[in-house]
Amino acid sequence: MEYAIETFSLTKIFSDWWGRDKVYAVDDLSLQIRYNEVFGLLGPNGSGKTTTLKMLLGLLYPTKGRALCLGGDATDPKINARIGFMPEESYLYRYLNARETLDFYGRLFGLPAKVRKMRIEALLDTVGLKAVANRPVGTFSKGMARRIALAQALINDPDLLMMDEPTTGLDPIGTRQIKDLILQLAKRGKTVLLCSHLLADVEDVCDRIAILYGGKIQSEGKVKELLQQTDKKQITTGSISDTAVERIKRIVRDEQADCVVSSPMDKLETFFIRTVAEAQQLSSPTSGAVSTTQIGHFLAPEARPENILDKLVSTPVSREVPTEPATTKQVAPVETSQAKPDEKLLGKLTEQPEPAESKPVVKTKPVEPKAPQKEQIKKSILDRLAECSSNQNADREQTDRPQAGDSGNA
Amino acid sequence: MRSIWAVAVNTLKQALRMKVAVVFIVLLIVLLPAMGISMTGDGTLKGRLQTFVSYGFSLTSFLLCLLTIVVSIYSLTSEIQQKQIYTVVTKPIRRFQFLFGKLLGVVLLDVVLLALFSAVIYAVIIYTPKFYRASRLERARADNEFFTARAGLTPAEVDVAQEVIDTYNRLEKAGQLPPGVSDNKVSRESYIKALTQRIKLGKRAAAVGHELVWEFNNVKPLDPNQSLFIRFKYDVSVNPPDLQVFGRWFAGDDRQVKYGANVQTPIYTFDRKDLIRTFYEMEVPADSVAEDGYLAVGFFNVPLNNTVVIFPPQEGLEVLYKADTFTANFLRAVFLILFRLIFLACLGILASTFLSFPVAVLLSLAVFFTGTISGFCLESFDFLSENLSSVYSYTVRPIVQLLPQFDKFNPTKFLVPARLLSWSLLAKAALYMICIKAVLLWLAALLIFNCKEIAKVIV
Repeated sequence: MEYAIETFSLTKIFSDWWGRDKVYAVDDLSLQIRYNEVFGLLGPNGSGKTTTLKMLLGLLYPTKGRALCLGGDATDPKINARIGFMPEESYLYRYLNARETLDFYGRLFGLPAKVRKMRIEALLDTVGLKAVANRPVGTFSKGMARRIALAQALINDPDLLMMDEPTTGLDPIGTRQIKDLILQLAKRGKTVLLCSHLLADVEDVCDRIAILYGGKIQSEGKVKELLQQTDKKQITTGSISDTAVERIKRIVRDEQADCVVSSPMDKLETFFIRTVAEAQQLSSPTSGAVSTTQIGHFLAPEARPENILDKLVSTPVSREVPTEPATTKQVAPVETSQAKPDEKLLGKLTEQPEPAESKPVVKTKPVEPKAPQKEQIKKSILDRLAECSSNQNADREQTDRPQAGDSGNA
Repeated sequence: MRSIWAVAVNTLKQALRMKVAVVFIVLLIVLLPAMGISMTGDGTLKGRLQTFVSYGFSLTSFLLCLLTIVVSIYSLTSEIQQKQIYTVVTKPIRRFQFLFGKLLGVVLLDVVLLALFSAVIYAVIIYTPKFYRASRLERARADNEFFTARAGLTPAEVDVAQEVIDTYNRLEKAGQLPPGVSDNKVSRESYIKALTQRIKLGKRAAAVGHELVWEFNNVKPLDPNQSLFIRFKYDVSVNPPDLQVFGRWFAGDDRQVKYGANVQTPIYTFDRKDLIRTFYEMEVPADSVAEDGYLAVGFFNVPLNNTVVIFPPQEGLEVLYKADTFTANFLRAVFLILFRLIFLACLGILASTFLSFPVAVLLSLAVFFTGTISGFCLESFDFLSENLSSVYSYTVRPIVQLLPQFDKFNPTKFLVPARLLSWSLLAKAALYMICIKAVLLWLAALLIFNCKEIAKVIV
């Protein structure tokens, strides 16, 4: 199978009570999304994004055409066991607490108890809700509920993740985390389908996008190809002397081109994240979600369910996973702005219009310390996790130390 | 299976945490013991017990029925309305599994609550005699007429068709038929009808100085050392001055008299004087029943009466004997309620697959209340539609018959008069209420839910 998602002239007509056609919500849509692609479905309100997604998931039946997910029908349990779905709003059971909610969804996937427990703890860490895991979801703020909805979508370690407006209701840090998470998931071989009208989010993470209007695709292609202004170049440097600037200007003028020099502005997002991170470092108490950049360990590049089960069943998992004070976890993207002076190779930077943006992706991997990395090549990450949870305390500290060190530098 | 269980447990949690069930639980926990204390009935121990079991069971059953309707409908409609169902049906769970999980959750809740409340009722019943320090006589009466499960045998109806024809022929031959009867077909039929009634009445009537004998087979008392009861009611052709009738009763194996067979069972004789048109129970030692389950009961109309004594049809005479223990009977009665609840859970789930919460509740309540008077409904429909028989029997009747027959399988109907609720009757209730009706509802629910687009039109 070549495509993770494929639709063949998918059409959805909503008819009125008498059966007369009323609205073409999706009109003759043919979409191909390759494996390991982050695909953004854009469009204004009512353009058919959500309807398309619902048809892909079998929540709505197409009037005409067909939709394939992972080479099959999404209502087939074999297929949807590999799909994660984050709906446009967090539809949660108000009377369950965060942990119970995830446990419920884990059970729906038929995950054995040990795997479930391990994943729930990892996911609660990932979405930063460990401290409030025993509070009923009904008391959560919108952003916190959103995080649970995200965790819910990841509990089965999906190969295909469908997210409908994933960042609505989230604070900038949460938005940032989701974006980072999407990129990391893509790196681990997952396919992600993103529906959104928040263009900034899509621009940051998507490989390819399609713009829907009136149920039809108006434009489709790679983000870079669609957006890159090939007739312009941007150079970003560290702090250099005025004479150096003059010299560069001269070189540019020799090339018969115009040149503008200014100090780059931090994105508000970067500034905001830095401020909150500093506050966190001072251990300001919060009742809300705690931001971390850890990703669920089990979201492995090549997760083979049988293996996970075998490993986990054979390894005794103790019940208590140590809960450290949430404030020790740091937002790694903080250092990105400081990291700039190190990079002086202009040639490389010319290809990255926003160095501050793309950097954190590389940096936010505190869960994979460099020292044990050679072993990791042999063992899968999940093996490591199994070990981790069995003789956790020592191991956990090890995993966390590099992270703490990192933030200390910052 | 794991996913079905997950849905079931979630449904249970919802019912308990959203306080839907809690209201009912608190109500019953408070009401049941209060009823046990406050209800006195006619003042006797037996009356007190009968009143309590009647009201306690009815209340428990009624409240649990309401609870089942509300919970089963709320749990599905709220999930559809608040759209949690989006995240559930997109997981590896088939829709029928999801619905089954819902049903299982509701039934589990019912089983737990029913077990709890019937235990409360049972405990109150068992401790009432000790608590009130009833006299030995009262206690014995309660033991015989309440703490037991008595099977009732009514005399088999005699087939009089042949006798009617014989009589008619004889009268015709003798030329004693009323004028015009033999020529006209209509009047002949109505005459035969009247004749049949007259002969049937004759089988139930004892003229002065005559005797009536009823024979029963299959009398199987649980313990031959205990008593059996003959329950009877007199009717008369002419009212005696003091409205009382003398009677000489026999009970035993009359074959030793009839055929001279050598049987060891004793024959008991009773002379009594009883009010007419009133039910009486006459205690007879159970060893009067022959080993093969044969028992004959005879009534001799003493000449002193000077009136024909008639036993009304159906309830005129009945032999009651202890066939099972009270506890076993009680248990089966609880099962009857459980069947009811399972039916209602299926009904609620069916209704909520295509209706909103208030409408679905209304529909289910309507079915529930009609179900409690289904016997009346059936009879009245039958009566009203006598003239449109074929139209009626193919349209309305099947629908009316689909209604649950809660009144026919009403547990208090058995517990209050301490009647045996036999396993076969229980199986019959299970067959009608669950195997046929509930399953039909369930299949309809599956069909609708499978075809339904879960995400409703939001453009």
